[in-house]
Amino acid sequence: MVDVETMVRYVSPVNPAVFPHLTFVLLGIGIFFTAWFFVYEVTSTKPTRDIKKELLVSLVASIFSGFGILFLLLSVEIYV
Amino acid sequence: MYKYLVCGVFAFLLTLNIANSDIINKNVERVIDLSSQLVKISATITLENTGKNTESSFLVILEPNTLRNLSYISVKDSHKDELKVTPVKLEKYGDKDVFSVKLNQQLAAGRTAVVNLECIFTNTLVPYPSSITQKERQLVRYFGNHYFYSPYITTKQTTSVVANSRSIETYTKLKPVSQSDATITYGPYTDIKELQISPMTVHFESNAPFLTVTRLERLIEVSHWGNIAVQENIDILHTGAKLKGPFSRYDYQRDTSNNHHSIKSYKTILPAAAHSAYYRDSNGNISTSQVRVRKDWIELELRPRYPLFGGWRSSYTLGYSVPSYQYLYKTPAGQYVLRMRLIDNVFDDMHVVELETSIVLPVGVTNVKLNTPYQVERLSDSLTYKYLDTKGRPIIRLKKTNLVEQHIQDFEITYDWQPILLLHEPILLSIALYLLFLVVIVYVRLDFSLSKAEHVKTQ
Repeated sequence: MVDVETMVRYVSPVNPAVFPHLTFVLLGIGIFFTAWFFVYEVTSTKPTRDIKKELLVSLVASIFSGFGILFLLLSVEIYV
Repeated sequence: MYKYLVCGVFAFLLTLNIANSDIINKNVERVIDLSSQLVKISATITLENTGKNTESSFLVILEPNTLRNLSYISVKDSHKDELKVTPVKLEKYGDKDVFSVKLNQQLAAGRTAVVNLECIFTNTLVPYPSSITQKERQLVRYFGNHYFYSPYITTKQTTSVVANSRSIETYTKLKPVSQSDATITYGPYTDIKELQISPMTVHFESNAPFLTVTRLERLIEVSHWGNIAVQENIDILHTGAKLKGPFSRYDYQRDTSNNHHSIKSYKTILPAAAHSAYYRDSNGNISTSQVRVRKDWIELELRPRYPLFGGWRSSYTLGYSVPSYQYLYKTPAGQYVLRMRLIDNVFDDMHVVELETSIVLPVGVTNVKLNTPYQVERLSDSLTYKYLDTKGRPIIRLKKTNLVEQHIQDFEITYDWQPILLLHEPILLSIALYLLFLVVIVYVRLDFSLSKAEHVKTQ
C-alpha cells in the first residue's frame, strides 16, 4: 500500500459547483455565434459572401458550443 | 552418501516446518456467536512453550469439513497486531486443513503468549425444521465441537455459545454446563488431548435475517472531472427455513411484532459523501426506500417490493456518486492512486456468495497496477464505451467468493494519466460541430436549381 501522507487529494480542475454557470455562459456565447453564422449564411449573396468570415464565426461557435455541451453533460451528472 | 545427506536435510526442514508438540494451550476461552446468520468463533488462546527451543509459529487446525464454509480467519496478538496466517499441508495431519501462524515475537522456552483467533463461517446454521408456515417460528441448529480443536494439548478451556434468543430448544449437556438467557457456557474442561472431537448441537429460535447476497456486481466509474460513480447490482436470497403453504398478506399485515423470520427491510450504509443515490430494479424505481444522513455515514433503509420469506429471492440496483477527492490521490511522481472499498456494506452481518468488482478507469490510462488487501481472482481486462468515447475505457475486473463484513477493505489501483486528456471530449464535440458548419458552408455554395435564378438572368 502506498502511503497516503505523501499524496495530495485529486480535485477536478474545474469546481463542480460552477458547472451550471459555465454551461450558461459558454452555451450562450456558442448559440449567439451559431445564430450569427446562420443569419449570415441566409442573408449573404454570392458576391457578398466572405469565406474567411464564415470559417471564423463557425469556428468560434463550435468551440464555445462544444465546451458548453460538455459542461451541460457534467452539470446533469453525466460524468464523461 | 549424498543421498543420505539430502534425506537428512529434508527431514530437518520437515521437522522445522511441522508443529512442535512442545506448545500447549494453557488456557482457551472460546465464544461461539450464533446471534446472526453467520457463525463467529473467537478464541483467546494462551500458548505456552514447554519445550527447549524457541518457537516462531504455531498451528491452527479447522475441524474436518469446515474449510468450504470458512469465510474469514484472522489471528491477532496481544498488541492487536495482525499475524500472518498461511494455509499449509502437513503429512502429520493428513488431509486436515492446517494454518500456520507466524508469531511477531518469538516464543522462548517456558514463556507464554496470548493470541486472539477469529473465524467466521457461513452456511453453518441449518434451519430445522427446514420448512415452516408463515406463523411458525424459525429454528436453527448448530453443529460444533465441545472442545477447542487444536493440534496441541489444552490444559483448560471454556466455551460460551451465544444464541439469538433465550428460547433454546435443546443443547448437548457435556458437564459442566450452564445456561443463562441466551448464553450457554460449557466448561471449564481440563486436560483435553490434541484433535479431540465431542459433537455439540444447539437447537434454538433465531429470527436474525437469513439473507444471502448470491451475486453482487459492483461497478466503479472514475471520472477526472471530479466524480466517482458506484453502481451495485445485487441478487438476494432468503436462506432461512423455506416457507411452507400459502402466504397470507392479511396475516402478515396483522402481525406487528418485529420478531418474524421474514425480512421486511434492511439497512445499507453508504459513505458520508455519497449523493444522488438511486434504488431500482428491472421494473423501475422502488419508492420504498429512505435516506438518513448520519454524522459519519449515510444510512439507506431499503424495503424490497415484497417481504422475503425462506427461499424467496429478489434483485435490485443501488447506485450513488462520491466526489473524487475522497478516494483519488495524486503522487508527487505524477501517478494517480485510486483507493476504494472492494466491497461495501450491503446489510449488517452480510454474506456475499459471489462478488465481481469492475473498475472503469478514464480514457488513456497506462501502466495500471493493482494492489488488493486479500487474495482475489483477477479476470481479464476489457474495454467499455461510455459517452463521447472513441478509444474506450479499460475495465479492471476482480472476483471473489464467500465474503463477509470483515472483507470490507480497500484496494488500490495506481495508473499513469495525462491531464491534457480531459480536453479529449470537448474537442471531440467542437470538431463534430465544426464539421456540421462546414457542411452548411459547402451547401450554400451548391446550386441545385434547374432554371437559372431571376436575378442572375437580369445581370
